[in-house]
Amino acid sequence: MRIKQHPVLTSIVKKEVEFTFEGKTYKGYEGEPIAAALHVNGVRVLRHDHRPRGFFCAIGNCSSCLMEVDGEPNVRVCVEELREGMVIKMQEGKGKLKGGEA
Amino acid sequence: MRKKADVVVIGGGSIGCSVAYNLAKKGFKNIVLLERKYLSSGSTGRCGAGIRQMWGTEMNCLISRGSAEIFKTLGEETGFGDVEFRQSGYLLTTYDPSQTERLRKNLAVQHKLGINSHMITPKEAKEIVPYVNTEGMDAAFFCQEDGHINPFKVTFAFAKGAQDLGVEISRYNSVTDIKYKDRKITSIVTEEGEILTDAVVNAAGAWCKEIGKMIGLSHPVEPERHQILITEPLEDMMGPLVMSFAHDSYIQQVPHGGFIMGYGNPDEPKKINFNHDWSFLEQMAKKAVFQLPVLKDVRFVRQWAGHYEISPDGQPILGSVPEMDNYFMALGCGKGFMLSPMIGKLIAEKMAGEATSLPIDSLSIERFAKGELIVETGVV
Repeated sequence: MRIKQHPVLTSIVKKEVEFTFEGKTYKGYEGEPIAAALHVNGVRVLRHDHRPRGFFCAIGNCSSCLMEVDGEPNVRVCVEELREGMVIKMQEGKGKLKGGEA
Repeated sequence: MRKKADVVVIGGGSIGCSVAYNLAKKGFKNIVLLERKYLSSGSTGRCGAGIRQMWGTEMNCLISRGSAEIFKTLGEETGFGDVEFRQSGYLLTTYDPSQTERLRKNLAVQHKLGINSHMITPKEAKEIVPYVNTEGMDAAFFCQEDGHINPFKVTFAFAKGAQDLGVEISRYNSVTDIKYKDRKITSIVTEEGEILTDAVVNAAGAWCKEIGKMIGLSHPVEPERHQILITEPLEDMMGPLVMSFAHDSYIQQVPHGGFIMGYGNPDEPKKINFNHDWSFLEQMAKKAVFQLPVLKDVRFVRQWAGHYEISPDGQPILGSVPEMDNYFMALGCGKGFMLSPMIGKLIAEKMAGEATSLPIDSLSIERFAKGELIVETGVV
């Protein structure tokens, strides 16, 4: 599933990191789009909004891949870079803000 | 387009469509509504979509209260369907005692007219809107019966009601000239030809001055630009619209989930200006995050600009003018959308020669020449 060699990008430095999706731990490369790391791990459904939503435009335009990342809703995971220890969750509907309810 | 009409309504915003609908309901037969672009394209479709009854003058209170009643049944009455009317409340916040005092005086006017508004403490405000920042807040005012309604759907509902009763709506058709003789307008010249008419209603909102000029009148109404933005949609979390008199801004979560927020700069030159700028985004973001810190990481989706037509006293201009016999004004003056149901009804009553449901003679344009102004200070 991954590009191992590339005629232009000859020196891709890849550092493997761990992240969780829906409580399960997965591995991906630091700095790749979160959606790419999920895709390579077989995760196809990223959000539910009336129906399942997946990886679609891949350039941050379409809102299909909005997920909850480290507690923040509506993160476009196709353009957000993966970092060590990220907690990623499936988003239901429009997303809920955290904090302030007191 | 018809060549002859009993009434020509100029302007296809919520007021123009409401006037046309109410005239048709009254039994006026041959009505033509002219809109230079598409319905709601001027100011209605750009507005903040709030409806408010907590005003400081009797007429603003009465017109908004009557309008809220009509909004309840508008969708059903016209056969349009849901117009997204939610009486989710307005929370007005003040940050210094003089503002509080001014709004507290307004309460007396509201209560006399049966408007269910209250002065509350910052702590009580936080119980109503848990996300609101009470730092520095002096007091708050709340009316549950204020709220939200969809401006597009309201305009289209009035338009549908009007068309079902035989009104012709001519879109993308500007008025280029008005012909008149002595005290009577005889015809309206449009891009698509001339219409002979017995009466004319100016519901052109921020463009009303241009119409006035065509018959040699100078209306003391100026367009004031207001900018506005909407955020990405979030699950329903807020309820009331939050309006701050210290920030001159309003913030409301609409049924679609996005937060609409905006303000205008009264010191800008008064003219039609649809540009919107970065400084608005920065300032609005600061105002919003101060009032509702939870919004700090929410992304905004788009911004735009629209206009309030500002009258010298912040109240509508309704009814006939001293110089003409068959020319009527229907201007909301900074809150036309939320007052449109009653304005349409009152203008139709006036034109039919009936006693009006509210004493609108006090809102005639003549008040400016006579100096009989009762100033509304609470337009945000």
